[in-house]
Amino acid sequence: MSDSNSDSSGQPSFFTKHEFAIRRLHSLTGIVPLGLYMCVHLTTNASLLNGPETFQRAVFLIHSPGHLLPLIEWGGIFAPLIFHAGLGIWIAKTGRINSSQYRFTSNKRYSWQRWTGFIALVYLFLHVMHLHGGVHFEGWINAIDKVGLGQFRPYNAGSSLVDAMHRGYGVVWPVIYLVGVLACVYHFINGLWTAGITWGLWISPNAQLRATKVCVALGAVLTVISLSAWAAAVFPSAEDAAKMRAVEDRMYEEGVEAGTVPEMEHKRDLRNRDAIDEADEEENTQASKIQFEPAA
Amino acid sequence: MIALDPATNRPKFINVRVKRQDGPGQEPYWQLFKIDYEPELNVITILQRIAALSKTSDGKAVTPVVWDCGCLEEVCGSCTMQINGRVRQSCSALVDQLLKDNPDEIVLEPMSKFPVLRDLMVDRKRLFKALEKVKAWVPVDSYYDMGPGERQLRAAQEQNYPLSQCMSCGCCVDSCPQYTKIELQRRSGESDEAFAKREAEAFDKAFIGPHAISQAMLFNNHPTGKAIAGERMEALTGPGGIQACGNAQNCVSVCPKEIPLTTSIARAGRAATVYTIKKWFEK
Repeated sequence: MSDSNSDSSGQPSFFTKHEFAIRRLHSLTGIVPLGLYMCVHLTTNASLLNGPETFQRAVFLIHSPGHLLPLIEWGGIFAPLIFHAGLGIWIAKTGRINSSQYRFTSNKRYSWQRWTGFIALVYLFLHVMHLHGGVHFEGWINAIDKVGLGQFRPYNAGSSLVDAMHRGYGVVWPVIYLVGVLACVYHFINGLWTAGITWGLWISPNAQLRATKVCVALGAVLTVISLSAWAAAVFPSAEDAAKMRAVEDRMYEEGVEAGTVPEMEHKRDLRNRDAIDEADEEENTQASKIQFEPAA
Repeated sequence: MIALDPATNRPKFINVRVKRQDGPGQEPYWQLFKIDYEPELNVITILQRIAALSKTSDGKAVTPVVWDCGCLEEVCGSCTMQINGRVRQSCSALVDQLLKDNPDEIVLEPMSKFPVLRDLMVDRKRLFKALEKVKAWVPVDSYYDMGPGERQLRAAQEQNYPLSQCMSCGCCVDSCPQYTKIELQRRSGESDEAFAKREAEAFDKAFIGPHAISQAMLFNNHPTGKAIAGERMEALTGPGGIQACGNAQNCVSVCPKEIPLTTSIARAGRAATVYTIKKWFEK
């Protein structure tokens, strides 16, 4: 079984020697930055429920670093995520799940932590490809746009998100996101609880029970936030998206004029502009009608 | 009290299914034995009856089932095996209780994380190697009278006593999903020494297990034992140390001595955090 890896004559590898530190780093990256980032991300997305303005304002703020953003994305999110996922796969492979033999709650949580980790890994890959595209090269984004990936446009945040969800018959992506987001929430909250034991924060069974209650409460709040974020992206119709787009375009144009939004045309949704312009006109005529009414 | 109520229908026979194996590395196989019901049996007496019978339920003459036992009162740990899918001591596994849970049969298997020597007998060497690794002892050589030891506070005594009840049975590691079996095959022409060395290296890299973590905490909390606390922390944060724990917490659920193993693990986690940060700044 372990025959093959016992050939090294006494000299432990770098990984074996520093396993403790590497695994503590795995535990840490799961909470900061990844878990914290997920909370901010889900809350930002849930703000779409308050209207496209709120969401678009938040996205403008997130995109305010401009050309530095890819650095922040890769250093603060993608790199820790790849490390956490890679080591997570290795950790899962070092264990043998036995929750069908020993049906204790904590043992089932152990198994679920591994299953949700795998689901989260697949889901996050799909999610990044579906909306973000991974890298910002224009040629790449245009190429994957043709197969329905890299769909998000930060300067038309709400509308491009809603449109992206409508692809795949409006069912495939919503289901993937629902399962994926809930797996991520479970993985984070259960990981938070086990990290408390790993780092030695909650020690006695009573303290661990209290920590469980706090984590369940946190998990409930985060579930509500994530379902709100999901609903805000999934339920609006194509017409709603068109209205959102008009609002976003206005915010962009005014923002550029005021100097609060850096002018970056590639972050706008410039696909099918004819249809959008029509919607714009419609919006304008409606707006003018409303404006004229009191005078009449 | 424990025996089945005589008014109700007592079974005439007890079916015992045993997972057997003729030697190390060989293929395991199942045999079914049928023995007469007697009240207040334990699994050890069942194995004695099977040995006396040496016959399977279909009348085939077989060698007696091999198992290990010592104290017969749940303090030595040597008769540990999987009974109805759960690891425990066979001396304290009472048949009437087992039949209440599953009246059809009793299933006996060897422990799952140690190499099988024969039938229900396993080689638990790795369990004791882990205790050596964390130096689970008080470092005095008894050459000189060193006078009375440091006074132990009552609170420390109460924390330590439960940990001192560990009998190294291996239930905790057998139920642990992070503790995986290591069974090396001897290479052709390999000497005893070379094989033992290769095995020790494999053990050294693998997870030490909850019992060793708990014993490290016991002796790090002992007035004389704490003299080598740093060496134990080195072992706990080294290869196969506390970081391999996945917090499934099966250990504390199956421990026959109800030792607060997960409390020890969390304390070791905190000690490891402090120790590593201190080392980082002081080295």
